[in-house]
Amino acid sequence: MRRRLTLFCAVAASVACARGDQTTSRTDTAGSAKATGAPASVAGTRIGAPRTTAAGEWQMPAGDYANSRFSDLSQITPANAANLRAAWTFSTGVLRGHEGQPLVVNNTMFLVTPYPNVSYALDLTQAGQPLKWKFRPENAQAAIGQACCDVVNRGAAYTDGKILYNLLDGHTVAVDAATGRQLWHMRMADLNRGETITMAPIVVKGKVLVGSSGGEMGVRGWLAAIDVATGKEVWRAYNTGSDRDVKVGPRFKAFYAQDNGKDLALTSWPGETWKQGGAAVWGWLSYDPELNLVYYGTSNPGPWNERVRKGDNKWSCAIMARDADTGELRWAFQVTPHDMWDYDTVNENILVDLPFGGTTRKTLVHFDRNGFGYTIDRATGEVLVAQPFVQMNWSTGIDLKTGRPNVVPEKMTTEGKNTKDICPSLEGGKNQQPAAFSPRTGLFYVPTINLCMDMEVRPVTYIPGTPYIGANAPEKKGPGGHGGEFIAWDATTGKKVWGIEEPFPVWGGALATAGGVVFYGTLDGWFKAVDATTGKELWKFKVGSGVVGNPISYLGPDGKQYIAVYSGIGGDMGLLIAGDVAANLPYDVRERGSTLPDLPRWTSWGGMLFVFSL
Amino acid sequence: MHTRSSHLVLGVTCLLIVAAAARTAQQAPVPNAALTGGVRFVPHPDNVPAGFPLRDLPLTLVNPYEGNASALKVGSQLYVSFNCIDCHGADGSGALGPSLADGRWHFGGSPAEVFESIYQGRPDGMPTWGGRISNDQIWMLVTYVRSLSAGKDVATENFTGRTVERTGH
Repeated sequence: MRRRLTLFCAVAASVACARGDQTTSRTDTAGSAKATGAPASVAGTRIGAPRTTAAGEWQMPAGDYANSRFSDLSQITPANAANLRAAWTFSTGVLRGHEGQPLVVNNTMFLVTPYPNVSYALDLTQAGQPLKWKFRPENAQAAIGQACCDVVNRGAAYTDGKILYNLLDGHTVAVDAATGRQLWHMRMADLNRGETITMAPIVVKGKVLVGSSGGEMGVRGWLAAIDVATGKEVWRAYNTGSDRDVKVGPRFKAFYAQDNGKDLALTSWPGETWKQGGAAVWGWLSYDPELNLVYYGTSNPGPWNERVRKGDNKWSCAIMARDADTGELRWAFQVTPHDMWDYDTVNENILVDLPFGGTTRKTLVHFDRNGFGYTIDRATGEVLVAQPFVQMNWSTGIDLKTGRPNVVPEKMTTEGKNTKDICPSLEGGKNQQPAAFSPRTGLFYVPTINLCMDMEVRPVTYIPGTPYIGANAPEKKGPGGHGGEFIAWDATTGKKVWGIEEPFPVWGGALATAGGVVFYGTLDGWFKAVDATTGKELWKFKVGSGVVGNPISYLGPDGKQYIAVYSGIGGDMGLLIAGDVAANLPYDVRERGSTLPDLPRWTSWGGMLFVFSL
Repeated sequence: MHTRSSHLVLGVTCLLIVAAAARTAQQAPVPNAALTGGVRFVPHPDNVPAGFPLRDLPLTLVNPYEGNASALKVGSQLYVSFNCIDCHGADGSGALGPSLADGRWHFGGSPAEVFESIYQGRPDGMPTWGGRISNDQIWMLVTYVRSLSAGKDVATENFTGRTVERTGH
């Protein structure tokens, strides 16, 4: 193993190793961080859309519209975090990837499981947290085989006494938060065309916003708004196709010249390839109430084989800003034009106001699969900062005049060619696991991945309901031999402040708290508390299964601060890379891939909520 | 419709009712078989109750390409062109669909059972291919898929050494 990695580092483009040495702090063991710079100034930084709900609750998937994943609770501090202990646990009854997070509203905790997407309401006011209700939706079993990357669900939204969430088979449901009774059940996606839904919706002004998965199944991506009261669709905007379908009108103005023009989402595709062009919406949504804009990113274009879709392929791999009332596209920025590495742009957009040149800019901070951390003006789409946050070799940098990446020709993939040692791998420098932001430190806390890949591209035919990919892409750990790193990032300078190397990709999300403690979990099943300023490890606990979920914090009825997180390995990591970690099915024993051969020594399938307190 | 218990009922019925009536009862499955080009449901050997008259079960499907190397090669190409590869993996060891290379089969691994899995689809999302591709192509896929089933099973994994030791049965 070690010899192979050393060899790899020598063979890999010198760009990668050189850049790695410049920006990466080296630590010998996971769990200790080395500072490479002073903490950023916090003057002038603030969460772009701070929460308006009680500090002790967690009413939205990311805590607030800004996607900060910051909790105002401050009882747990670097001084006392070592005293954290498990307070209680709850088995969800489902083994599969537990991405996402619970909600806490009115002393009730709401959980949604992976397929079959059962939801639970737990009464936090009583000892033992008994169930208030359990809801088992109708949910077509065929969806299991249409979901590319495990049967995950990234959580529910809450509004006005209703729990709203998506089902893998393409429906959205509304459930009475008090009784668990189904209020409506709306078909939003077409399972027979490979559309499933895994994303967490958000509610904006009485409408729940939903998008579909299926970038590997030849879908045509969209975002839709449903009236919360009636379950009726209010608008649906596609990410590919005519200006009419994409909702591009006179109010659209992109910052860069190449992103402006008539019917770009049609003309940047050959023939009718836009109809199966992907650009799905399976990641996180943000909302700025002042600008009334909803932000999201789109997935990779389909298929991965780029030969059949020459052109920019708009709006795949793009950040989209839409009017929350009408769905009109106000601006868009294509992060990776004509993607050929499966670098989706679905990762969260964190809305934060940051100081730039003596003024405060309303920005959106986005850590893309392509390995660049972007700081973007969220009113206009102008890229202010774009720097690598992981080791990479596919691009030498972003041209700030155009916003486009300068691509290294040897790392381009095409049919009939096996392109070696591309970093990051198709999992990206970061995937869906969301970062957090603390206005107390001005830093972003980012779970990252250090994997590279070879990509061999072959012809592929579109057959509805089957994958539309056309490539094999074996992965391996990147230079340094660690699988991932949990980093603190300064988005005004585009620099890493500290990092904690982890043996495996960090596939769980981050939580920042006002007490100055940051939390995250690892694939090998450690749940950790670290100092927000220095990255020093304060405490860790070995949970039952690898963590791919996102921690939250809430105030219990007893006045104590609690931290809650799912344990339950899965998602792309657990299912595809860890291979036979998935062998809870006796008829499905897999020879594990070589990417993370040691992972099953540390973890196995699970499905459990862990709750911690002092 | 055409389940084991219905055959049992059919068998008992044949013994009790006059020949003319029995002939009417036996005609029922014929249109279905015609529609599927002679495809019949097959018993799973583990699920046949002791003493059950096997001779009354429908004909077992026979793979016309069993052991045919050129059919196996065509099957391997069909495995790619019908996108089987992206669910079941380049070497059949599984991705979003289960492994076909572990010698363990949820719906049975006999040629007839694998044919059925491909022909009619399976509940967790295996698409129905019957009618979309020819029965001949399905048999070539059966030939290829069954050739994968050796050698990728891992019964024991031992993590205590420097490297992970994996052994099959």
